Amino acid sequence: MNEFHLTEDQQDCLQELINIAMGQASDQLARYLDTFVYLKVPSIESVEASELMITLSQRKNTIAVVSQGFFGYEGIRGESLLIYQEEDSGRIADLLGYEPDELSQDEQLIDISSILTTTFLNVFAQQIDNQLSYNAPKLLPNVQEILSEHLQQMPFTWNLALKVNINYQVTDYSFNCNMIILIPETAITNIKYVLDRVLEEF
Amino acid sequence: MSPSVLICDDSNMARKQVLRSLPQEWKDSVQIACNGAEALTILRDNSIEILFLDLTMPGIDGIGVLQGIQKLNLDCSVFVISADIQPEMQSKVKALGAKEFMRKPVQSDALLNNLQQHGLI
Repeated sequence: MNEFHLTEDQQDCLQELINIAMGQASDQLARYLDTFVYLKVPSIESVEASELMITLSQRKNTIAVVSQGFFGYEGIRGESLLIYQEEDSGRIADLLGYEPDELSQDEQLIDISSILTTTFLNVFAQQIDNQLSYNAPKLLPNVQEILSEHLQQMPFTWNLALKVNINYQVTDYSFNCNMIILIPETAITNIKYVLDRVLEEF
Repeated sequence: MSPSVLICDDSNMARKQVLRSLPQEWKDSVQIACNGAEALTILRDNSIEILFLDLTMPGIDGIGVLQGIQKLNLDCSVFVISADIQPEMQSKVKALGAKEFMRKPVQSDALLNNLQQHGLI
C-alpha cells in the first residue's frame, strides 16, 4: 500500500468501513432502480498521484468521468471520481429504463454517480464521526486533456488516490465502475488516526 | 452451561464486534471462521448451537453457508449480520432459515435483544 502504510489491522478496519458504506450505497441504488443488486466484496488499493494520470490516460474505452468534491471536519476533504467504461453505458440506460428522449445519458450518469458517491461517503464519514458537504457533481467528457486539466486544478494538493473497484450485478445486467477517491496527505493522516481510534475500542 | 457459538466473518474487526457484544460467560466457548468454507467444516464436525454469519465474503458466502446448513440438516440458530441491507436480501436469508437479520456495524443491545427474543439467553 505504498505511502498509505497501513498495518494489517488498519487495512482490515478500513475494508470493513468501506464494506458497510458500499452496502448502503448499493441499497440506495437498488431502491432507485427498483431492483436487486448483487454485492461483491469491493477491492481497495492506493494509487500514487503520479501513476493515476498514466492509468487514466491508458484507458481508451473510458466514456465518462463524474467528479464531485467533498469536505468535512478535521482536514478531511477530497474529490471522488466515478469512472465508466464504454461497454457499460448502454447497460446503464437499459437498467434505468428511461425513454430515449426523457433524460440524456449524461444526466443518467450524473444521477447514478451522485447516489453512489454521496451515500458511500456519508456512511463512511458517519462511521468515523465526521460529516461531509458536497460540491455539485460535474460530468467530464472523455477528452484526456480535459481530464488531466481537471485533475491538476483541484483546490487542494492530493497525494494519494484510494481506488475502490466496484462491480454491480443487477439481475440480467452487470456494470462496472471504479470509484477513485483523491485525498490530500492531511486527510490520510487523519484517517489513519481515526482507524486507530476505532481499533482501540476493541 | 454456555452454548457453543460460531462467528463467521472475513473481517477480524467485525468478528471482534460480535464477540464483545456476547454475554461474558459465553466467551470461552466461541469458535471463529474467516470464510464460508471454514464455517461449514466447523458446523459439520461440531454441534454448533448459535451461528453469527456475515453474507458478503469471498468464496462460499453467507447464502452458501445457509444452503449448506439446510442440506446437512443441522439444528443451529443463525443470526445474519451484514452490510448488504437490501430488503430482498433480508427476506432471502429468512427464507433460508436465518432467525434474524442485523445490519452492520452490529449494536450490542440489538444483538442481545435478538438472542433474548429467541429464548437463547
